Amino acid sequence: MRSLSPALASLANVFRIPMSLTPARPTVSRACNEILARRPSPQPGPITAAVQSAPFSSTSSLAKRKGKGSNVDKRITLIRYFLYHPLTPRPLRFSRNRYLRHWTIHRAWQLFQAKQRSAHELELERQYQAMQSACEELRVGAGDGGRLFRKSMIKKGIFNDMFPIEYGRMQTEYPAAEGWNHDWKRPEKK
Amino acid sequence: MAHCERASKPLLQCLRNTYTRSLPVIQLPTRGFHSTAAAGEAQPDQSQPFHKSPDPSLVSSPRLERRLMRQGTAPIGSRRRRAALQGSANLPFEQLPYQCFQEARQVLLADRVEKLEEIEKMRQKIARLEALSPEEAGNEQSQKSRLRSMQLHLERLKIHADINDPLVKRKFEDGQGDMSKPIYRFLADRKWREYRRKILVQRITQMNVVPDVLPHCEPIVDTKLYFNSRQVQPGDFVEAKNSTSAPKLDVQLFERGEKLVTIAVVDPDVPNVEADSFDYKMHYLAVNVPISAVNTKVDLSQLSTDSQVVFSWLPPVAQKGSPYHRLSLFIMEQKDSQPLDFAAMKAKETDRASTLLRTLQARYHLKAIGAHLFRTQWDESTLEVMKQIGFSEADVELRRKKVEPLPYKRRNPSSFR
Repeated sequence: MRSLSPALASLANVFRIPMSLTPARPTVSRACNEILARRPSPQPGPITAAVQSAPFSSTSSLAKRKGKGSNVDKRITLIRYFLYHPLTPRPLRFSRNRYLRHWTIHRAWQLFQAKQRSAHELELERQYQAMQSACEELRVGAGDGGRLFRKSMIKKGIFNDMFPIEYGRMQTEYPAAEGWNHDWKRPEKK
Repeated sequence: MAHCERASKPLLQCLRNTYTRSLPVIQLPTRGFHSTAAAGEAQPDQSQPFHKSPDPSLVSSPRLERRLMRQGTAPIGSRRRRAALQGSANLPFEQLPYQCFQEARQVLLADRVEKLEEIEKMRQKIARLEALSPEEAGNEQSQKSRLRSMQLHLERLKIHADINDPLVKRKFEDGQGDMSKPIYRFLADRKWREYRRKILVQRITQMNVVPDVLPHCEPIVDTKLYFNSRQVQPGDFVEAKNSTSAPKLDVQLFERGEKLVTIAVVDPDVPNVEADSFDYKMHYLAVNVPISAVNTKVDLSQLSTDSQVVFSWLPPVAQKGSPYHRLSLFIMEQKDSQPLDFAAMKAKETDRASTLLRTLQARYHLKAIGAHLFRTQWDESTLEVMKQIGFSEADVELRRKKVEPLPYKRRNPSSFR
């Protein structure tokens, strides 16, 4: 307890953090307390070390008394601590012109993305239509009464005999960092 | 000399000459959609030295500032900003040399050109469809619906063409948007719906104006109410002495074109002691009031009495002891913006108490498009106002009837003794 710096100790006091960091060697005061208390249990809990007057309670004595002490939620205290900590960066503030430039760029980027999406959708639609018209041509225009078309539409055995290799792993946006594991060997069968 | 001025002193003389306009608005060559030219600004006279005719957006020495103030023009912005502007190249916003920004502008401009082409195409399509007879276009119903959807698409395209323009955004935020243009109307409508309309709808529903006076109301125009040039928030209490004269209205329409509206102020809280209930009273009724997106101001006391005002303004008063009165103002659109027959209406509606807004709505095919609400209650100035308008029961104080508790609820009934 005494090994902490005074600043840290005061902070811990403010935020009601029990100073449970058990020092490597028992300090003088703790040893004295143990001797004075003469309790049979050789290991007093860490809280006992912090609040000696109430060995069985985890509530600090100030908070235990009704209406006394601060009833602020610990989470709020922590939020406040980190929000106003000097190491927390300040909120992003733009001047008006800069904000407008930022907004312009943002809108342009959104527009660009929307156009890309719609172009992609159109392309997919075009491909689908092309495939459909090809199938229709095969069905009607091949002159065999649609036999070829029917044969080509048979789905039997497509997913049974072989499995598409791309389903063998999780689909990702980008290829792996190392493209191919050259050292891979088929595991020996026993 | 100000500190900020001292810092930029060496540069001042050479830069003042290059500075021509305070915030120049460069009309881009591609901006064909808005056909209005940039308003010609009054340029400071270049022949005179700066200290003779200081520019209000550039002046930074307190002496010149004071002289400007004496002339009646306040300097623009902070002194620090003005001093900084003296030393800046003062490029217009769209020419600021930031690479990403310029690239983004290129993207947006290209998109705008595309949208303009689409608008042109859409207009031609609409014209072609309108030129067709219903037999050629198929069904008359389908032609109408197609025209309608095409019009809607055209309106949307007009908004999409301009919504990405930072200058439009800046102008709108400065409150200098031109309401005759669809983009500014759209932005204003969106802003109104984000907060003020919600408040208004909440007030008129929580205070039960909507089922009490009219069955329902979907406000589509922004209404502001001013008593003695002071704005009244919806639901505010207004002192009796402030509401002796008719209020002014600011009715912002967000659609194109002009509308003829009927404006009515109704008090649904007139106590009726005999019937132990409340009556209605029409405090104001005017018909054929023209409003449009650019023509928003309506002064209820200035409307013409021989063609518009059916019931002139009756100052609202609340008797002592009566609960507060809700004075609800409704703006009702007349059907197809056709003028109502004023003389017939004036002859028919003669009694303020028996003219109900629901009846009027059904009789003249009105539709509520805007609402406002204020309240009035007994205060110090009410008695004076009552005497002014000759209110008959000015000396009556209303009391709540004491309700005897039911026997089993009495604290100490006689049967206990």
